[in-house]
Amino acid sequence: MASNTQATPTGPATAPSVRQPTAQWARGPAVPIASVVFALAIGAVLVLLSGHDPISAYADLFRGAFGSPYDITETLIQTIPLVLAGLSVAVAFRTGLFNIGAESQLLIGAVAAGAVGARFADLPGFLLFPMVLAAGIGAGAAWAAIAGYLKAARGVNEVITTIMQNYIVVFVMHWLLQNGPMTAPNALGTPASSPIGAGAVLPIIIPNELVPLTRLHAGIFLAIGAVVVFWFLLWRTPLGYELRAVGLGARAAAQAGIDPRTHTVMAMAIAGGFAGLAGMIQVTGVFHRVFDGFSAGYGFDAIAVALLGKNSPIGIVLAALLFGAFARGGSIMQANAGVSSQLVSVIEAIVLFVIAAELIVRLLSARRGRKPVEAIA
Amino acid sequence: MTIDQLIGAGVLAATLRLATPILLAALGGVVSERSGVVNIALEGCMLVGAFFGVVAADQSHSVVIALLAAVAAGAVLAGIHAVAAIHFRSDQIVSGMALNILALGLTSYLDYQLYGTTGTPSDLAGVPDVEIGLLAGVPYAGDAIAHQNAIVWASLVLVVLIQLFLFRTIPGLRLRAVGEHPRAAETVGIAVRRTRYWAVLASGVLAALGGAYLSLSVAHSFTDGMTGGRGFIGLAAMIFGRWTPVGALVASLIFGYGTALSFSLQGASIGDVRVPVQLLSTLPYILTILAVAGFVGRSRPPAADGIPYETEGHA
Amino acid sequence: MKRALAFLLLATTVVAACSSGNNAATSTPTASATASATATPKPIQVGLVTDVGGLNDKSFNQAANTGRLNAEKDFGLKTSVIESKKQEDYVPNLTTFAQQNYDLVIAVGFLMQNAAWKVAKQFPNVKFAIIDGAPADDAGAAQNLPNVANLFFKEQEAGYLVGVIAATMAKNKVGKATHNTLCSMGGIPIPPVDHYMAGFQDAIKTVDPSATILIGYSNDFVDQQKGKEVGLNHISKNCDILFQVAGGSGLGYIAAAKEKGVYAIGVDVDQIDVAPGTVITSAMKRVDKAVYDTSSSVKSGSFKAGDNFFSATNDGIAYGKLDPIVPADAKAAADKALADIKSGAIKPKTDLTVKP
Repeated sequence: MASNTQATPTGPATAPSVRQPTAQWARGPAVPIASVVFALAIGAVLVLLSGHDPISAYADLFRGAFGSPYDITETLIQTIPLVLAGLSVAVAFRTGLFNIGAESQLLIGAVAAGAVGARFADLPGFLLFPMVLAAGIGAGAAWAAIAGYLKAARGVNEVITTIMQNYIVVFVMHWLLQNGPMTAPNALGTPASSPIGAGAVLPIIIPNELVPLTRLHAGIFLAIGAVVVFWFLLWRTPLGYELRAVGLGARAAAQAGIDPRTHTVMAMAIAGGFAGLAGMIQVTGVFHRVFDGFSAGYGFDAIAVALLGKNSPIGIVLAALLFGAFARGGSIMQANAGVSSQLVSVIEAIVLFVIAAELIVRLLSARRGRKPVEAIA
Repeated sequence: MTIDQLIGAGVLAATLRLATPILLAALGGVVSERSGVVNIALEGCMLVGAFFGVVAADQSHSVVIALLAAVAAGAVLAGIHAVAAIHFRSDQIVSGMALNILALGLTSYLDYQLYGTTGTPSDLAGVPDVEIGLLAGVPYAGDAIAHQNAIVWASLVLVVLIQLFLFRTIPGLRLRAVGEHPRAAETVGIAVRRTRYWAVLASGVLAALGGAYLSLSVAHSFTDGMTGGRGFIGLAAMIFGRWTPVGALVASLIFGYGTALSFSLQGASIGDVRVPVQLLSTLPYILTILAVAGFVGRSRPPAADGIPYETEGHA
Repeated sequence: MKRALAFLLLATTVVAACSSGNNAATSTPTASATASATATPKPIQVGLVTDVGGLNDKSFNQAANTGRLNAEKDFGLKTSVIESKKQEDYVPNLTTFAQQNYDLVIAVGFLMQNAAWKVAKQFPNVKFAIIDGAPADDAGAAQNLPNVANLFFKEQEAGYLVGVIAATMAKNKVGKATHNTLCSMGGIPIPPVDHYMAGFQDAIKTVDPSATILIGYSNDFVDQQKGKEVGLNHISKNCDILFQVAGGSGLGYIAAAKEKGVYAIGVDVDQIDVAPGTVITSAMKRVDKAVYDTSSSVKSGSFKAGDNFFSATNDGIAYGKLDPIVPADAKAAADKALADIKSGAIKPKTDLTVKP
């Protein structure tokens, strides 16, 4: 009975989080916080077993993430691409699609933005910046639209296409930047492109006197704007309504006159646009050129961000902050407390797992003999 | 570019070697998802299988014990996922993702603790190759399959066994029923949750075997993150193969072939132009997309795949 | 939802505030470190920031870490390490140590050149060192800074030495090396990798121009199966001695040699134990020595900014332990080549002769 075009990666349901109501949040802030604390407690045992002091280790974790204005800006810098990638994955989920390709859409947006920014480096900001912005978003959108088109026209499951696309982009980037067509000539042999023009650079938004050495760039405004666009698009426009309708039941939507196939392509394009924007921001706000390298894993983290955030704007921001805090705080934890970075990963995984498992909710409800809120079909 | 570089016996042999880990992960995915549970943690199961297989091989010097340890580790990780997905009805994708991160962090951490300064021992018990003397004489095809590892053969046998199991036996039918219409299955007395537990555990075992293949048959050592995304390629192969073992085999072979080509063609030129090595590496991925778009098209997952199940009463 | 956020932030700030007493503050970054204000001399602090491969890469990062640990032990330093998870982390990780007034911050890897330039400029009173690189400005040009030591290795010299050994064995058909074909595999085509292979090829051409040389890349520094496939491919083309320059992936290259009963050469550190009987020697790059020496130079006050070369002349490169199968004449040839390189008579090439 379930329609063919819905999706978890493979299954018919739109990501279960869309179908389930906000059971966890409905109980207020106690549950997610309790989950995090519970997970951290398990992590503390591991830290202890590895021969380090959990209290000071966690102190470092928190301080590294939020301890000072500088630390907070560092956490935010980590969070920005995760928010955008999370929006990318979420908008696809809302339409019943699984976008595993946020990573490649991000990278291709970065490459496009970097290429345009370098090629036209001498143009003034009011011309160059919009061009670079359009290039980043457009490249990501176009690349993702391919996956959408293949699904709409040939029924190719987008999970396959987007996983493949992830690898293709990484290798093409290697070719472009390792002494290739896009490599900036330099004696040191660094695999990177020419720097983008000054007009395309996202400026640092906090003056040095206020928060010394901060690197927080104007990309945060773009990210906030994107969150607003996400919300507005999905819940305040007809297109958004149609996308969500397709996500909840393509067959029913079709009967209402909404063509799931065109909406599949559009949804993927929009998703790719968000991710492309993330890549563009990394180039214009952090690196100021395109570096070849190894994928940062934003794409996969974004899936967890979207799902933990229940595919909704505030949830995504919070989930992205959680990841960002771990990324930032984790490195301080390693630097100061000497806790190995792999152990930090393990703790992060436990936190994620516990939150995902909504273990606390289940345990509490099980003890009281009540069933948790049932999934609404 | 020569014919030999394109379809020589060496390339075909490489295809089998490269396809095997992906195939095993895909088979794990098929079994799990046919019962209705999405198991994204295949990558993690492969990795723990690879690592604990090496540790056991080092400690026991016995291949059998090493393989048992490997699949046990995979089963344990999958078991955690099963509990989360089936008992706690958590989000199966996040649970799977979290377990992947956990597996990577844990194996890397333990690798450093146990083998940090010295590396894994060089004389690990390894899974032997199967030499088929009869075939060595056969030109061309003989070379491709005369010296394949035991696990390569095991995976091919498993394709047949699992295909038969799922589509020709009653227990297999029950498993598929659980994945398609769990409510109806329960009504006729099938234990939905128990079936799913077994399926997820089995998927962990299969994926772990794939990981053990990498560490005990191919590399004879362990390096952090050595599975390199094969668990996810396996998922793609599963979908490509329409959730059937035979389909997964075809998909894995296509992908393996593309990868094999990307190495055999290094140094080849088309006319005057040398193909850059980085672009060659995109071959398997492009080939897969073309194959799916051209020949497979739409594939339908089991109807209840990914939806947590709420029992009415008994298991 | 908003309450959850507020609660969470409040909780973390409270925790943070309560514990901000102990460690060196991340919260008050000052560009100028006033180090010696205290009466009691505090131990020299050295911080290592690794590239994304992690400490367990069995070669590069690991060697740097070994150097750090040895320096900590021998000189009574206080040291620490941060493993970068992605490129965006380079600048913040370097900054973390600099902000805490570490005496020396070492950036491990040539991908960190630009990040090191940025941070070193912001902290002129902190000393930095870059392994395999120099500070690079945003346009990619090398910009020496007074507080940065550029630790360059002449990998081509190490490659040349093992190339001499390999080519001599191949020429004389020693053991299994009967086809006079030698090959190498790189991880990705970046200068530190290509320099090794360039020296290797140069040596082969010098010792025996009639030898066949093959080259490949795994496009990966981790995946052993890929390395093994490249290796099997080369062996099917009669290669007898396989030189790996591909980190973890290269271990697969060595595994191919082991499986087919031919020989291999390790890289960066001494890899003879990786596959005894297969690995005949290694092209060593004493990253551990560079870290060790630079750390001690900070303590003794002899820190030298600008280009520092680690090469044959200062034992910065070497060939590793030799397998018993390596004949005396091959060793002698390598030792002679080493002397020639030291004297300047031989300058191994840095550009590949045979390209992929």
